Amino acid sequence: MPPLNIPRLSIMLMTLVAAFVQASAAQAEAIEEKAAICSTCHGEKGVPIDKVTPIIWGQMEGYIYLQLRDFKSGARANDLMQAVVADLTKDDLKALAAYFAAKPWPDLQQPSASKDVAAAALALNTSVGCTGCHLGDYQGDSTVPRLAGQQHEYMDKTINEFRDRTRANNPGMSDLMIASPPDGLKAMSAYLAGLQILGSTGHGSR
Amino acid sequence: MAQTYRKQQLSLLLASCTGAFLSTAAFAGQEIQQGAATQGTAAPTPAVSQDMLSGADGDSNNFLHTNGNYAQTRFYPAKQINTDNVSKMHVAWIFQTDVKESLETTPIVVDGVMYVTTSFSHVYALNAKTGEMYWHYKHKMGPITTFCCGPNNRGVAIADDKVFLATLDAKLVALDAKTGSLLWEAQVGDPELGYSETMAPTVVNGKVLIGTNGGEYGIRGFVKAFDAKTGKLAWQFDTIPENSVGVWATHDATGRDMLRDIKAEKAALAKLGDPYKTLGGGVWQNPAVDLKSNRIFFVVGNPSPDLDGSIRPGDNLYTDSLVSLDLDSGKYACHFQYIAHDVWDLDAVSPPILVDVKDKDGKVVPGVIHGGKTGHIYVHNRNDCSLIRFSDAMVPQENMWVLPTKEGARMLPGANGGVEWSPMTVNPDLGFAYAINLHQPMTYHVESTPYPGGKLWLGGAFKVIPSEKQAGNVTAVDYNTGKIAWQVDTPQPMIGGIMATAGGLVFTGEGNGWFRAYNAKDGKVLWSFQAGAGVNAPPASYSIDGKQYVVVAAGGNVQLDYKRGNNIIAFTTD
Repeated sequence: MPPLNIPRLSIMLMTLVAAFVQASAAQAEAIEEKAAICSTCHGEKGVPIDKVTPIIWGQMEGYIYLQLRDFKSGARANDLMQAVVADLTKDDLKALAAYFAAKPWPDLQQPSASKDVAAAALALNTSVGCTGCHLGDYQGDSTVPRLAGQQHEYMDKTINEFRDRTRANNPGMSDLMIASPPDGLKAMSAYLAGLQILGSTGHGSR
Repeated sequence: MAQTYRKQQLSLLLASCTGAFLSTAAFAGQEIQQGAATQGTAAPTPAVSQDMLSGADGDSNNFLHTNGNYAQTRFYPAKQINTDNVSKMHVAWIFQTDVKESLETTPIVVDGVMYVTTSFSHVYALNAKTGEMYWHYKHKMGPITTFCCGPNNRGVAIADDKVFLATLDAKLVALDAKTGSLLWEAQVGDPELGYSETMAPTVVNGKVLIGTNGGEYGIRGFVKAFDAKTGKLAWQFDTIPENSVGVWATHDATGRDMLRDIKAEKAALAKLGDPYKTLGGGVWQNPAVDLKSNRIFFVVGNPSPDLDGSIRPGDNLYTDSLVSLDLDSGKYACHFQYIAHDVWDLDAVSPPILVDVKDKDGKVVPGVIHGGKTGHIYVHNRNDCSLIRFSDAMVPQENMWVLPTKEGARMLPGANGGVEWSPMTVNPDLGFAYAINLHQPMTYHVESTPYPGGKLWLGGAFKVIPSEKQAGNVTAVDYNTGKIAWQVDTPQPMIGGIMATAGGLVFTGEGNGWFRAYNAKDGKVLWSFQAGAGVNAPPASYSIDGKQYVVVAAGGNVQLDYKRGNNIIAFTTD
């Protein structure tokens, strides 16, 4: 085996590094461009313009990807979102999901639930086990969305849509919500809207 | 040292350059290796031979398998800590992991080195004498994971100088036991379709055996065997055969009528065909290995969707079953189905135990026992999987088998059991099996929707009835008669696991933080420790320098929402 030609190797390496940096910069720019349209509704700083629009900044990467995928396929019916994602590839969807997941979750300053409301939410959790998937403090993980601090009215709307199955891309959630008393669900959305983000549980340092 | 460092730098540089053009996987691997190397020191290199693994049932120094040995008895042969001195047991050390979430790990101990895992598939190598960390492996988790009941991990397997871990994003990875660096990884299933891994692998004769989660997502379950050296797939057994219809069984293993509408099911079969492709059948826990007959025994979980049987006609083979395979080929040997066409998720999860049992004529035969969510311990003949007997019910049973309704039908046990995934243990000298149980009154609700492509697919809901009292128990059952020998009630439902020792003790923990030692003979509590978070993991034991230790994880539990923590606690006596 011939000895390594160090100068030549380092030139090659430098070229490769330059190409890599350029490629990632271009990719990042493209995603920024694609993401720009999202802020029209979901907000410049992650605070949605409308009360029934969800926070997507800091939402779980896997969850955002699955929703975008389902908007594209029509499994989650939404004319506006379907049009937005129509021309995007699977890689675009994944990149967008990673892009928004990396943003900080905004604080909407929604009021904390009263003791009674919190107790009713806790009782619902004991009954159907919401935290079995959404995890402690409702921080979510991967394909399961973060709920703590989400828009109150969006959650109420979503609960209704799960219950009447117009939101059809997670029948398991529909089943659980249909089996839950409406009062309990109302208390749960109020509780979640005002829940602080503790960040005390979860993955550990990454 | 310096040379190693330069080599690592160069390989990292190369990986980051070529990564842009090839794939990000190589880069990710380097990151992990780098992370592991910078976060600790090398552990002593183990050399775990097949002889050591096979002889684990007589090894008072190490703890080599998640369930103690290939028979999965969790009966630890050391007796230095015993009924006479356990009251003096005290903390030897506490290790705090970086992840404060559900701990279900069984520590594996080899020559004074302990390997533990946490939620989200982290691994730590520790000095088992002092609790000091050697290394920490942080799995580079993929963006998509789909899992039921918590981001848990139940531990590693070890063979030669390698540690094996199955991850939440459905990968099997092999690590260098000395450094924690990644040697190979294999994709076990597709997380986007609902596959995930929380169980510990089992290693035997150069093969790494692994099942899968996903019974709540419409997967098609399996057990796979991978080559321990290369990570190449050796064989795969689909837990759902292409003909899953079976014999149209009308009664369960205990002879109770399951109220099936066979006529409607046959009509559905003619219309829909065999539902095998999305029928579930996860394998949550380790197989027992019978080295003599060269066969493995494991149990298969519920059919998908859990509560809606209308779109999955037939017995739904081999869901809710004990299954035995040939170890070398993965070929079917025998099975026994506890509940055909289950619509309650009262499936089979707790790992089977191989132990000699008396058959109906009182003759001692090779047996295999399993603790069911129904609350029965089932005793089988190992030769043909046939049922010899089932135990007294360890929890209240009411209204079995009422069919789920839209409004909800009350039935006991609730859908978590009985015995959940928690491994049982046996004391072969006493002829007792020990199980921890849940009592959670629930209503069963049914809804019907088609396969949702890897999303949660329960076909309804199980609801805890908030006004009814929940509880748990620790139960000893004489497996040669099926009679309950003793039972101790606990204030909360029990989940985690249990271990018996030759010192006449049984160890198990509770969701309220209590970790206790019981007298194996009569259930008397001989020692207790408050861990400050739920003790919902199976205990283990080991010895170093002639001193015996007991170790358990206290991290709480997602499924039952028990207080989370992040402690691995080792105990000893002076």
